[in-house]
Amino acid sequence: MPNYVKICPGRDAKIGDNMNEYLSVSQLNNYINRLLIGDSILQDFWLKGEISGFRLYQQSGHAYFTLKDEEAAVSCVMFKSRVRHLKFKPEDGMEVLIRGSIAVYARQGKYQIYAEEMQPYGIGELFLYLEQLKNRLKAEGYFDPDKKKPIPALVNRVGVVTSQDGAAFQDILRVLRQRHPGVEIILVHSSVQGVDAPLELAAGIKILNDYSTADVIIVGRGGGSFEDLMAFNSEEVVKAIYESKLPVISAVGHEVDYSLADLAADLRAATPTQAAQLAVPDMLQLQAGIDDYQQRLLRATGNRINQCSETLDRLMMHRVWREPEIVLGKSEEKLAALQKELLDVVIENWKVKEREFSVSVIALDKLSPLKVLSRGYAVVRQGDKIVQLVEEVTPGSRLQIDLSDGIVDATVTNRERVERWKR
Amino acid sequence: MEEMKFEDALKMLEDIVEKLESGSLELEQSIQLFEQGVKLSLYCQQQLKQAEGRVQRLVKNLNGEFKLLDL
Repeated sequence: MPNYVKICPGRDAKIGDNMNEYLSVSQLNNYINRLLIGDSILQDFWLKGEISGFRLYQQSGHAYFTLKDEEAAVSCVMFKSRVRHLKFKPEDGMEVLIRGSIAVYARQGKYQIYAEEMQPYGIGELFLYLEQLKNRLKAEGYFDPDKKKPIPALVNRVGVVTSQDGAAFQDILRVLRQRHPGVEIILVHSSVQGVDAPLELAAGIKILNDYSTADVIIVGRGGGSFEDLMAFNSEEVVKAIYESKLPVISAVGHEVDYSLADLAADLRAATPTQAAQLAVPDMLQLQAGIDDYQQRLLRATGNRINQCSETLDRLMMHRVWREPEIVLGKSEEKLAALQKELLDVVIENWKVKEREFSVSVIALDKLSPLKVLSRGYAVVRQGDKIVQLVEEVTPGSRLQIDLSDGIVDATVTNRERVERWKR
Repeated sequence: MEEMKFEDALKMLEDIVEKLESGSLELEQSIQLFEQGVKLSLYCQQQLKQAEGRVQRLVKNLNGEFKLLDL
């Protein structure tokens, strides 16, 4: 082993050849370590295996785990600075590819792999990341069906969060106006891909909630590659959709099965065009529906009234109205008897009253001025006034004299006062 | 009725029409419902005509306030 001399200067013997020549443990480990780090293959390689015993130390931030296959295992460590860049959370049982190097961990006398990168084996890292994010957000309740808000039946104002330059916006605009010519559209421009997109999209949703009177929000973009659509898989957008008080329709191009935004949205549309269709009703159809209700109201009420009037007609056709005597015959007899009885009572009463009256008349007759006149007295009147004293008249006054059987007109020729009681 | 949501009004209208069409109501009740139904249908129609058809953009100005600009 020619290398030996170089590594352990000052020692000429081969290891084990001589009991007097020995190495310390540290020297051994150190020697092996140098062998390993001197090998270019072992210093940068990809290794495939299944993770087991994964531990992430909270304090240090370093991750320790074992990679294994059916027959063998090897210890691995990933330092905090590398762990930070992982897009997914490594778990036991996961098949991964790691890139790294080998060195000896002298304290335990074992070699281990220092991992620089890790990728899920077989599926893309992004895909795994999404899967994990989806599971986490789901567990946190962001996709709860109970939390979904209904889209109002009548929508007059639509908020749109998308790129003002995109075809998606033009599609949305066209379809919204086609279905509802009076619709108001409030656009909040946002980039829909790239590093700023998640925050801008989320901010757009929030702004529409805070500063507009939209009835519903459409958030989306046209189709694109998996990577292009990543903003719609971001936690920021999912949370903004979830927290929106206004109902949100997601409209992400249809090349992928779903985006996390779709799962969080109150309603998912496959395309921006479809989102616009879902957002507003077809006004002509809605109008026709109301017209139909009005017609049915009139018809149903008309029918009801006709029904009642027909019932009335049928009742009126009943025999009793044409020949009431048939039904009323007996009653009529009874009525006649009652009438006769009533009449008898009235006549009897009347006779009594008549007798009483004639007695009163005889009594009254005795007091009557007519009786006095019939005894030869007369009543002298001047106009309406009864003359009682001489001075009420003058010669020439015209007087009327009531006698028992008539009236005499007279003119005064003379008047004379007579002292009746002093005579 | 001003505060009523369109879909609630539409739903009530639908219920009234169905009740009337069942024909099992007293005449007086059907006429009351008819009147209510006509009011609801007029309200719905009026709601349909409320929007103005503008397209605007909500933007933040230099003071950090949000403004609606016509597009």
